Amino acid sequence: MTHRNQRRFDVILEIVIAILALLFLYPLFLVVFNSFKTYDQVLTNILALPKSLMLDNYKQVWTLMGYPKLFVNTFFLTLAGVAGIVVFGSMAGYKLSRTKTKLSGFLFFLCIMPMMIPFQSFMITLTKLAKTFHLINSLGGLGVIYWGLGAPLAVFMFHGFVKSLPMELEESGAIDGASRYGVFVRIVFPVMLPVISTVIILNVMWIWNDFLLPLLMLNGKQSTLQLASYKFFGQYKSEWQYALTAVVYTSIPPIAVFLVLQKYIIKGMVAGAVKG
Amino acid sequence: MFTRNRWGSRVEFGVFVLPAVVCILLSAIVPFVMSMYYSMTKWNGVGKHIKFIGLKNFRELLTSDTNALKALIFTLEYTLLAVVLTNVIAILLAVLMTKAFKLRGLYRVSFFVPYIISLIIIGFVWKFMFTKGFDVLYAQTGWSIFQWSWLGNAHLAFWSILFVGIWQSVGFYMMIYITGLQSVPGDLLEAASIDGCVGLNRFFRITLPLLMPSITVALFLSIANSLKVFDIIYTLTFGGPGGATNSITMDIYNEAFVNNRFGYATAKSLVFVVLILVITVIQVRFTKSKEVEA
Repeated sequence: MTHRNQRRFDVILEIVIAILALLFLYPLFLVVFNSFKTYDQVLTNILALPKSLMLDNYKQVWTLMGYPKLFVNTFFLTLAGVAGIVVFGSMAGYKLSRTKTKLSGFLFFLCIMPMMIPFQSFMITLTKLAKTFHLINSLGGLGVIYWGLGAPLAVFMFHGFVKSLPMELEESGAIDGASRYGVFVRIVFPVMLPVISTVIILNVMWIWNDFLLPLLMLNGKQSTLQLASYKFFGQYKSEWQYALTAVVYTSIPPIAVFLVLQKYIIKGMVAGAVKG
Repeated sequence: MFTRNRWGSRVEFGVFVLPAVVCILLSAIVPFVMSMYYSMTKWNGVGKHIKFIGLKNFRELLTSDTNALKALIFTLEYTLLAVVLTNVIAILLAVLMTKAFKLRGLYRVSFFVPYIISLIIIGFVWKFMFTKGFDVLYAQTGWSIFQWSWLGNAHLAFWSILFVGIWQSVGFYMMIYITGLQSVPGDLLEAASIDGCVGLNRFFRITLPLLMPSITVALFLSIANSLKVFDIIYTLTFGGPGGATNSITMDIYNEAFVNNRFGYATAKSLVFVVLILVITVIQVRFTKSKEVEA
């Protein structure tokens, strides 16, 4: 192939890829378009572009769904879950990596073992146990359960990272007179930032989007965005314009965060996959 | 360093390690151990009456449960096709995405976007497409493919779920392969070109073997995730029509929360764990043995 032909081929290839990417996202575009239409407009032609940026559906669903409360619920659930996973995971991963005793080795094994066990095999008994400890039907309780479910991967990643850190790091802190805990908070924790960001990204995406665990644990007044949208779809299954608006409302937060932080998120998710 | 006081370091070890250990015990280890016991009981999940029946549940599952067998066959077929297609498409996309396109970043993000939306939402979006969207597409194009009952026909529903599963996750695997391709040394590829090894030949002889570590990871993840397929089926078909798209996880869920047979469902889930472990261990052993050093 000559150089010019090669370049022409690359341009055609790029056009093909651009069309493919558009087709790939077409269903999502359709959802957004139709969320701006009235019931009749959705029924007559869902493929047409909306005539105007009509926000009636958004106003309606905002209250019908109780969006603000659900958003706050899901936000705090995710925050509480991720905070616990990062704090407990980093503490344990660090200490288990620095302590070379039989007990430490055994506890490390215990911590990472759940990574091999699929959630489905113990979700039923977890529901029962959560009921015994009064963790069921409460967002706080659900957050605590996320700590234990998210901690294994976090401990594993922090453990691996600390292994590659020189001991001198903490020794210098000790000489400066910092306490055992001060060394961790002021010296070790900041050094772990790359892993911390990966752990945060993986767990935010997981907890925000999780459906099965809220479905098992929450039953009644308190709900998350995913759980409530599922119920909302059932309730408004013929009023597509409302259901589609709910889809947009539920997906906008993760997509917005993703678009702002895409480089870190993609890197974090791939790193999490490769290490996990 | 901090050896002045033995008790101090023991307390410190506890303070650092115990919170995580207690949480993991509570959320995973204890429930898993409880599962082993409950798998040998007859229990409806609510009542106080829990009867120990030994290995009867396992005997029933392995000899007379046609639903479970159907779910197993569905899940294995789904997994096989999803894993092969997802990974082949993901590698293809990854290779294309490492070319110097003007809007390369935008294309990568486009393919990745479905992966950050929850599966429940994805399921609903496609339910909308398969029902409303296809109706209109049929009216406009007249192509009978849009008239078929993609969710209502037992045979077609399988392909619909497979398609949605691939559509949702392919961008993620593409990213794993892009990262893998970036670590293939450029001078090696150049050397191969000088020796006359180009195009597809170079791809299969040089690039693909060096991509093996990424393939190991991507296969492992896609196998484990496909075997556990749940959310998209829950919204798209709920296992229907007539149990045609009942995956193992859906079967376990129904057994526990619809039929209220907790003991039996737990036995099923334990057999399922063994299945996942066996399949993934074999896969990792196999692909690891194919990895080469650059």
